[in-house]
Amino acid sequence: MTIAFVGGTHRTVPLPLRERLAFSGEQAAEALRRFRDRFPGRECVLLSTCNRVEFYAAGESDAAPPAREQLVSFLAECRGIDASLLGPVLSGESDEAVVRHLFSVASGLDSMVLGEPQIVAQVKQAWALAQESETAGPLTAGLFQAALRTAKRVASETALGRERLSIPSVAVADFARGVFERFDDKRVLVLGAGKMAHETLRYLREAGARDIVVLNRTAERADRLAERLGGRPGTFAELAAELAAADLIVSTTGASEPVVTLEMFGAAERRREGRPLVVLDLAMPRDFDPRIGSRPGVWLYSIDDLGAACEANRKSRQREMPAALAIIDEETRRFMGDLHHRSTAPVIEQLRAGWTETGEAEIERLFKRLPGLDEAARAEIRQSFERYAAKMLHPPLTSLRNESHSGPPHGLLDALKRLFDLKE
Amino acid sequence: MPEFVSRISVVCFAASYLVALACEASRLVFRSGVRGAVMVAFASAGLFAHTLFLLCRAVDTPAVPLSSAYDWYLLAAWVLAGGYLWLTASNPKTPFGLFMLPIVLGLIGAAQLSSRDPFPQSPATQIWGTIHGSFNLAASVAVAIGAIAALMWLIQAGRLARKQAPAQGFRMPSLEKLSLTARRAGAIAAWTASAGFISGLVLNAVNLRRGLLETVPWNDPVVLRMGALVAWLVAAAIVSRSVARRPDGARTTAWLSLVSFAVLTCSILWGVLGPTRHGVPPVAPAAAASESAAAGEAAP
Repeated sequence: MTIAFVGGTHRTVPLPLRERLAFSGEQAAEALRRFRDRFPGRECVLLSTCNRVEFYAAGESDAAPPAREQLVSFLAECRGIDASLLGPVLSGESDEAVVRHLFSVASGLDSMVLGEPQIVAQVKQAWALAQESETAGPLTAGLFQAALRTAKRVASETALGRERLSIPSVAVADFARGVFERFDDKRVLVLGAGKMAHETLRYLREAGARDIVVLNRTAERADRLAERLGGRPGTFAELAAELAAADLIVSTTGASEPVVTLEMFGAAERRREGRPLVVLDLAMPRDFDPRIGSRPGVWLYSIDDLGAACEANRKSRQREMPAALAIIDEETRRFMGDLHHRSTAPVIEQLRAGWTETGEAEIERLFKRLPGLDEAARAEIRQSFERYAAKMLHPPLTSLRNESHSGPPHGLLDALKRLFDLKE
Repeated sequence: MPEFVSRISVVCFAASYLVALACEASRLVFRSGVRGAVMVAFASAGLFAHTLFLLCRAVDTPAVPLSSAYDWYLLAAWVLAGGYLWLTASNPKTPFGLFMLPIVLGLIGAAQLSSRDPFPQSPATQIWGTIHGSFNLAASVAVAIGAIAALMWLIQAGRLARKQAPAQGFRMPSLEKLSLTARRAGAIAAWTASAGFISGLVLNAVNLRRGLLETVPWNDPVVLRMGALVAWLVAAAIVSRSVARRPDGARTTAWLSLVSFAVLTCSILWGVLGPTRHGVPPVAPAAAASESAAAGEAAP
């Protein structure tokens, strides 16, 4: 049994080539079908995402998967790329290295953003497509199920994917949610049209925010923004009133001076009746006078504050790497042990068949010599023979299983074949 | 009651809560996939044993069920332990146990130092005694819940002020929720403590008028400390309500809740360790006479 793989990621394949190499869903299905026709009896799965294209192939010893060069040529042919361009940038692995690699990929350890969770869904999709295209089989089934199990373990037993890494997600989940329990009864004020406002509002909407006011210098631009962001438009003339009414402010203007000064906020503060205010000042230079952050009940976060929290989260994810790698090691060893044990199946089958055959012959001989036995006695004798055979086979099979954990048990298999005269 | 129920001791459920607390504390050190289940299992086992223990006490006590100081403390611990289990099951990522279980264990400890004898009762004042005890129990639990919410508020506010992401295994509820809980708990504590104090006064007055039982002198330490506690709780609730619409109102409420808890703790310690005629069985006339004589001889 062999598992092989060729593939490239954002680290190895330049973007222009990666764009040409990427497979859409239909193209991937077509490639899988083509592989099935060209290499019958082999299994394959194609994983194509924004950052990686990886082709996994597997086969039994009598139908081994194609060699690396063949797989590279196959991918190049599918995408109409010169194979000589792909050869140097696609890496190839086999057996244990493939297993370890896939487990790392599924767990997000090989992703551009360490620990990102989307890759699990992409691995599942790739596996589902292989099943639909009838290129999946028992080997790839075991491999991908083990990969998904490993990803689940890494996600639940480490904090690798827990901390958020983007500024909008950190701003909403780690800070705004720390202040407010719910957002459906909160007024969200958006100042300006910065890029991050849209992304931050997406998270706020997911959290339940409905009452959104968008203010801009010009009414037309505010209208367009409000329509795009799903809010109510307004102009900066309403700023003082909206400051008093808002519970959460997302500010992303391109102003060179603070849009909200301490004096301006002081005037609004008196009308706020002590309600807490979260300000996500995502503008550079800052839109809010930093002294506003020291006012009671105001939680002001600048882009640097949020960036520092993101960086801390990133480092926290890095610290989880050893624990994640330990899980991947453990799961790889387990999978390889199972795989090696699978390779012993024909020998075990023969061994069992030999014992059963001999046992049956002996039983028949015994029954002929003892014709007076009733059905119950015969059944009892049969059961005794079966139990005896199972007990006698147990020690060699256990040794075989144990030996499989440290690699293919060739020595034991040869010994069994010679001792019991088993045929290949 | 089955025999095994009578063998349940305080150590059984206290140890279960202690293990659950250790599991909660380990959140700060390492991650584990099974810790949540272990924690809930131990807390559930503790609560189950705790419930059976109280049932056993209720059945076996000759007087009104659970009518001793010992039982009241255990009952307050039981309410908080139940609350902990419910909160942990509904919010598994929040370490409520770190805040609630020490109070549960503290109440169990206070129970161990308290008298197990039922408070003296007469049929005429039984209802007042039950009302008095129930309101005091509710007030104690409310103060404890307010203090837990307040402490969590201060930790969460500190984290948000330092602009740090939540620490691993230490995700707190929102300030909004914690502030509301602390304020409501403070108000409930003020109302129930007042009702408990007033019902205690009524109980004492009835006893005094009818000459039913040993009355508690109006200047007894327990009357004074309960009066002080009620005065503080009412003042704290009023202040908390009046600052609710101020920007620093939530912080003020948090500190008031913590001080309320400190006052309650002092009050409990005073009650457990200090002298009082509260809950003391009536002295027989002959014994009272000999006590008086002895006191007379001892006097200079």
